[in-house]
Amino acid sequence: MAIALGLTLIVLSLASLFVGVIDISWAALGSDPEALQLMAISRAPRTIAVVISGGALAVSGAIMQMLVRNRFVEPMTAGTGQGAALGILLVTLYVPAASILVKMVMASFTALVGGAGFLAIVHRLPPTQPLLVALVGLIYGGIIGACVTFVAYQADLLQYVEIWMNGEFSGVLQGRYELLWLVALVAGLCYLAADQFAIVGMGRSASINLGLNYTQTMILGLLAISVVTALTVVTVGMIPFVGLVVPNIVSRLAGDNLRHSLPLTAMSGAVLVLASDILGRIVRYPYEIPVGTVFGVIGAVLFLWLLYAPKRHAS
Amino acid sequence: MLRAIGFLMFLLSVPANAETVAVETFAGRIVAPVLPDRIAVFDLAALDSLTALGVQPFGLISRVYLPYLEDAAVGTVPVGSLFEPDFEAVFAMSPDLIIAGGRSSEQVPELARIAPTLDMTIWGNTVEEGLARLAAYGQIFDKQAEAESLITDFNNKLSKVRAAVSGSGRALIVMTNGPKISAYGAGGRFGWLHDALELPEAVESVEKATHGEAISFEFIREANPDILFVIDRIAAIGQDSESASATLDNVLVHETTAWKTGQVIHLSAGPIYLAGGGIQSMTLTLDEILAGLKDR
Repeated sequence: MAIALGLTLIVLSLASLFVGVIDISWAALGSDPEALQLMAISRAPRTIAVVISGGALAVSGAIMQMLVRNRFVEPMTAGTGQGAALGILLVTLYVPAASILVKMVMASFTALVGGAGFLAIVHRLPPTQPLLVALVGLIYGGIIGACVTFVAYQADLLQYVEIWMNGEFSGVLQGRYELLWLVALVAGLCYLAADQFAIVGMGRSASINLGLNYTQTMILGLLAISVVTALTVVTVGMIPFVGLVVPNIVSRLAGDNLRHSLPLTAMSGAVLVLASDILGRIVRYPYEIPVGTVFGVIGAVLFLWLLYAPKRHAS
Repeated sequence: MLRAIGFLMFLLSVPANAETVAVETFAGRIVAPVLPDRIAVFDLAALDSLTALGVQPFGLISRVYLPYLEDAAVGTVPVGSLFEPDFEAVFAMSPDLIIAGGRSSEQVPELARIAPTLDMTIWGNTVEEGLARLAAYGQIFDKQAEAESLITDFNNKLSKVRAAVSGSGRALIVMTNGPKISAYGAGGRFGWLHDALELPEAVESVEKATHGEAISFEFIREANPDILFVIDRIAAIGQDSESASATLDNVLVHETTAWKTGQVIHLSAGPIYLAGGGIQSMTLTLDEILAGLKDR
């Protein structure tokens, strides 16, 4: 499975490099310096940005699902993404001249608060009602989203907020996506702690019995999720569903051992978002459809399949 | 006695008959009162043209966004926002005439229950409709002469700019919204720049979606316009965290003819975006184009 995914990712990445408004041929790459320049400025950054955000969002979804021990939540719909958007909005309102670093820190902070709030609520819910967590998450995220909308409405920034609420990659160029490398780093670090997150997914008492510093791991996970979410929102905007659909598919096919499944999750996320972005560039060529819209369609179909397909890997 | 009452009633009814005039609106020819005393205005293009005629509204949407219209807003009764009238406030000011349109167009039926309401939406042929609205205001407020002279001045300016841009090549209109951009064609809300100035499009058939078509920077590079009109959506609503020039300042845009020849013309977003079709707004945009062209 890993090899198939890896190959798909490579094929799609190459395709992504050659899909765009300006025609570039294989041959031109060798001879035409302008084509090479275009690759460096526009195509490669976009492809890298898509791969990183797709992979990292899927990973952060998988970790959040472990932290709250529920399969039906993800950062973008359960308060973290909306928290990040609120942070950016507040910075835009009160410190319009703020640098990207200030925006980033503020968004990460509000995302963290949003995520922590969700965890606090979830821990009071009865564990016998798994769907309740998902519903509470949706409502909670919806409430924070409503706050964002309200503030934006008051400040006449509704259409500006949509930039983050509906993420896409059309604005990605060399020099405008580099924050995402930090996202890749954080997602990579998560892999190092994969076993701890897997244990947290067994619950508090099991974790403590196994000698895990439960609280510390929770905080670590929350921090990682917040940073990944916030930086993705700051650079490209919210891409919902990725963190929900991808970990579920991977878990269905490859089980819940994070050390084994996290790389698969990352690759699947990258593959699916990359496919969506390429489709979004082709369907209305030469105009673009936001990746969130395309992924929403693909994700919904996949999710239905997931719900109704017979289980192959019971674990 | 009866005769006297009848005569009195005749006298009372005469002004009512005399004080109406049929004017051209978005909804067709509509009878409007002449010289209404208390008017409520729900459209920025309308406010723009009314101000040019020296007509002061009584009730006005509570934020006008546009610095050049701030003076007109002083002392007016707030009656809600562009999209949402405050019906109680409108009712309380008991207007003689309500002028709505554009963003408030959908509220016209409800507003019409309070007082005679004109839908002065400008949609489609911006210049023609904008001038028609101006003429209508001239009729209603008995300022035909002023309206005529404004229209003549505008048409003169239009021919001047048209002459100046003729032979300049193909143009592309883009709007930036933070880091993202969309393109507008001849059929879109800024399409009058193409039509009225007889400027060919750099890309044919950009569809006339209200909010433009999402594009990438490669699109601009490939379109390679000779003139690039830039409208900054964020500046239109008074925020300037990431300005349009920063968004467009990249290698792909640098390679277009427009950038190389210095023909990237930034148009003040407020007037053209919020008050498009207003006489002052259109004049201002033409002035900016003329100034931008002279930089060559």
